[in-house]
Amino acid sequence: MVKVFVNGVEVEVDSTSTILKAAEKAGISIPTFCYHPRMDPAGSCRICAVELEDSKRVVMSCVTPVSEGMRILTESAKVADARKTNLELLLLHHPLDCPVCDCGGECPLQNMSFSYGASDSRFESHRNDEVEDIKSDVLVFNSNRCILCGKCVRICDEVQDVHAIGFINRGFDTVIGPPLGKKLDCEFCGDCLEVCPTGAITDKFVRYQYRPWQLEKTKTTCTYCSSGCQMNVETEKEAIIRVTSSEGEGPNEGSICAIGRFGFSHVQSTERLNKPYARSFSRLVPTEWDFLIPELSEKLRAIVSTGPDRIATLVSPRIPMEDAYLIQGFTRRVLRSNYIDSGARYGFMNAAFPIAKSTGTLRPMVDHQDLLKAKVILVIGADPTAESNITGLFLKRAIRKEKARMYYVGSESVSITARAKDHIRVLPGGEGLFSWVLSEEISCQESGRHPEFLSRKEELFKSFNVDPQAYTRLVQDLREAQTAVIITGRVFHRLQFAYDAMESLIRMSHALGWIERDGCGILPLPETGNDLGVLMMGATYEWLPGLLDSQDSDNKKRWESTWGEPLSYGKGGGLREILEGINSGAIKGLISFGENPLSHFSPQSGVREILSKLDLLVSVDLFQTSLSDQAHYLLPAASSYERSGHVVSVEGFVQSLNPAMTYWGESLSDGEIVSRLSECMGHPVSSRLTSDVSKEIFTLMPDLSPSTRNGEHFMGPTGNLILPEVVSQPPHKADRNSVASRLSEKTKSVLSPIFPESIPGEGEFVFALNKSLFHSGKMTLLDTSLMKMESSALVRINRQTAKKLKIKKNEMVLIENSYGSCTLPVELTSGVTENELQVPYHFDSPDLLGLFPRELKYSGPCSTVTMLRTRVSLKKIE
Amino acid sequence: MGIKKFLNTIMFGEIMSGLKLTFRHMFKKAVTLQYPHEKLTLPAGYRGFIVQRRYENEQERCVGCDLCEAICPAKAISVVGDIHPEFPDRRYAKEYTLDFTRCIFCGFCVVACPVNALAMTKEYAHSSFTREGLIYSKEQLLTLGDKCEEDSIEYLKFKNMWDAENSGKEEGRYHFPPIPSVKSGG
Ligand code: SF4
Ligand code: SF4
Ligand code: SF4
Ligand code: SF4
Ligand code: SF4
Ligand code: FES
Repeated sequence: MVKVFVNGVEVEVDSTSTILKAAEKAGISIPTFCYHPRMDPAGSCRICAVELEDSKRVVMSCVTPVSEGMRILTESAKVADARKTNLELLLLHHPLDCPVCDCGGECPLQNMSFSYGASDSRFESHRNDEVEDIKSDVLVFNSNRCILCGKCVRICDEVQDVHAIGFINRGFDTVIGPPLGKKLDCEFCGDCLEVCPTGAITDKFVRYQYRPWQLEKTKTTCTYCSSGCQMNVETEKEAIIRVTSSEGEGPNEGSICAIGRFGFSHVQSTERLNKPYARSFSRLVPTEWDFLIPELSEKLRAIVSTGPDRIATLVSPRIPMEDAYLIQGFTRRVLRSNYIDSGARYGFMNAAFPIAKSTGTLRPMVDHQDLLKAKVILVIGADPTAESNITGLFLKRAIRKEKARMYYVGSESVSITARAKDHIRVLPGGEGLFSWVLSEEISCQESGRHPEFLSRKEELFKSFNVDPQAYTRLVQDLREAQTAVIITGRVFHRLQFAYDAMESLIRMSHALGWIERDGCGILPLPETGNDLGVLMMGATYEWLPGLLDSQDSDNKKRWESTWGEPLSYGKGGGLREILEGINSGAIKGLISFGENPLSHFSPQSGVREILSKLDLLVSVDLFQTSLSDQAHYLLPAASSYERSGHVVSVEGFVQSLNPAMTYWGESLSDGEIVSRLSECMGHPVSSRLTSDVSKEIFTLMPDLSPSTRNGEHFMGPTGNLILPEVVSQPPHKADRNSVASRLSEKTKSVLSPIFPESIPGEGEFVFALNKSLFHSGKMTLLDTSLMKMESSALVRINRQTAKKLKIKKNEMVLIENSYGSCTLPVELTSGVTENELQVPYHFDSPDLLGLFPRELKYSGPCSTVTMLRTRVSLKKIE
Repeated sequence: MGIKKFLNTIMFGEIMSGLKLTFRHMFKKAVTLQYPHEKLTLPAGYRGFIVQRRYENEQERCVGCDLCEAICPAKAISVVGDIHPEFPDRRYAKEYTLDFTRCIFCGFCVVACPVNALAMTKEYAHSSFTREGLIYSKEQLLTLGDKCEEDSIEYLKFKNMWDAENSGKEEGRYHFPPIPSVKSGG
């Protein structure tokens, strides 16, 4: 610690800190252009000049370390002079076209020039007059306005680790852009756009359509994935113009991904439902809520009166906790049914259920900060960058800056595999077996191992091509590491034996003593924005709110007394039981809140026929979907940009959604729809206000009160200093002590081996559906901006394989198997194994889903739907 | 009561002194104009109706920058900017409306405009039976501008906004080359 004086104010700072940080601590802001709190300082713009009182020297505060007793002047005449001269030089070639520059009005360069009066330069020079680079559909590069601070290049390198842009040419001709003057091809996170202190990088989607001062900002949480990014939705006259982020804020610390930043146009598309529809003579006709609610309640009442468990509800895991809470309450109290399930059933449940069973909580043991501290990170069956972008960023940072050793286990390569210490390739289908073998090896003594252990391990090496040395290194590292994190993702959770594989990992983490050790744990990545919240609120048949077993009579009593009504639901079930119940005629009605089971099964699986047996099918959605063709009622739902509530992030933060616009047309939030129905069916709700529901939830479950990553990671952006907001909040991570006491009761030491899926034979390919970086679910296919980044399904195929089969880029191939066939253009990559094909699951055409088995297949104790991989053959179309 | 005051009262002194002014004016030229048969010569810098201007090559000057909208104290202007349909690197005003029922003729917008696209003219005789009749679109403002080009140049010269643009000095000024009039291929 050293003592320094900034403008006479005494502050004590770390001896390694810079003058800039010391000044920030003293509450004095120094202007900066090239400094960025999350990146290494560059010292290239020379605007952060300060004077050292003793030596009368002017130094750059962002790169100069402090020393004991230093006296710093930030606003002396000498400093002002230096800054002014610097500005004059920066503006020498600047086009000064602020009035038409999209940055004008929020431009640090403009503001600085204004405050130092330096728009007139004493030097004679030419103005830059290069043509703009408008080749990309997303970003426009205007090199004339660039001051070469290098922030964009550095954030793309250091934070995003994408390396898509760089300095081109040298000297006066230096410009920023993608290499070789090509069209920009990157992850389109837009972070470079966000950090650029000038209008040299601008957003092409809303180019010239707005001025910053006209926009109204709403801080809210993104619900596309579970990262829980804090973002500013900026609107003009009730229309979203753009989404920005604030440096240092939220778990994302100011980064947001392509989907969060650019994916909002679909919610304002003309395709949005703006009126409720009711079926009359086989057609859906628009109607009014005032007619519809009584009519629908009457129909529901008629079905409910025939007995409990007659109506099922499906819930999208993207809706806020409040709505999920109301929906499950409505289902259990009013509809007297325990047939309730959510989108978590397609995979995430395989992680959530065993974890909740063993630890008693869904809160993660580790968060992103622990990733930074971890010595060893094992990523298995996950693509963090695509599934939870911010987890991906922290992972990259952990590897790059903190030198964590990352092992990647999986068949395909994703953007992070190149950074792995070892990419342990497992042929598709072997991931489950891998987890079991790993767990058996680590958890048990040699004598206590399962008799099949050795042969299974052998199989892993021989048949699944696992590199034994890499495997041994991983085992060694896991055993020795003081801090370690395992990340599991979509592919892992959707494996046929995902449930058992997860149990193996849990047992291993226990055997390694991770439960007691801070910074160690498993971090499963949910698939959408609020899987955790929806499950915690009991929108699944297994649990009442608070993860209480729904069949336990004590738990039932507890909620009966809270709700003041007897609960007379039956045994109920999840998606599998619901479909079976409908088929057998036991279930007569289905209300789907933003879910569409049809897009998760093969079109020949008969799900459509099963659903046609329903007496009442209600679909609540933003758009017409394939389910609407069968729905008796189609109700318009409000989008995440229009509603309020709370969502739970992958790290366990409970963050709020704030409406940036009013409800679209006549749409309503799901919670409001069920409240109205509930009232009409004679079960009044205590309040229709979301804020009251939040209060009810937080009173009943105080540990779920809002918690956010607050100001403690906030290091101060250019200029303004925001002090950390000190609020007491419940911990977002699981409490290790209570987990430990629970685990010791229930550890199972012997787990039966997991059978791998069969290995693809000669000429056979594994066809897998994966998550794209530019889409989330199916509704972003209606997003014009995201569709510019990825507009159609391309089959990713291995380069070598393509060479062998003489297939070139963008050529059409025929993919077929005994169930069906489809033709798609190919994309060549070295990122998939030789006998694997990958297609983004978002583009779920019937042809594509038709490649999957026709029988309704479920896996594991959670009966999840397995629609991850299938076997196909591949032919080039001549 | 003094004698002087008494005399003043009976002789209507105060009235006489008032009438003195009246009589004096009887021998002066009348200032009243027989509007609309006669019209006043307006001084330079008169703040009449606002118009939009063009470059010599007939292209409109306005770049849709919204600055006039931002400065207008009466919120009379609304600009919708967009990408120019023919020149994708240029901004232009897709819509531009000026509500003369709200305008207080302060002239701020003219000063704010970075490209001298606005000027005030000596036009004032614009009336309408409807409110909508006084809300002018971009086309109306441009037509009016074509009609009153001289007025607008005079106004800008009077406001010292002409020389700056035509001095040839580049430094410290916003830089907008006019949109070329000949379109690609034509
Ligand atoms: S958008 Fe993101 S990935 Fe693309 S160049 Fe900018 S920082 Fe890099
Ligand atoms: S484009 Fe922007 S961020 Fe990048 S170097 Fe230029 S001014 Fe800096
Ligand atoms: S999709 Fe995920 S990473 Fe992207 S902005 Fe939303 S929360 Fe953040
Ligand atoms: S003259 Fe004044 S009130 Fe009228 S439009 Fe211009 S700025 Fe607005
Ligand atoms: S200030 Fe001038 S250029 Fe800008 S919108 Fe108004 S009239 Fe057009
Ligand atoms: S040199 Fe310090 S901020 Fe640029």
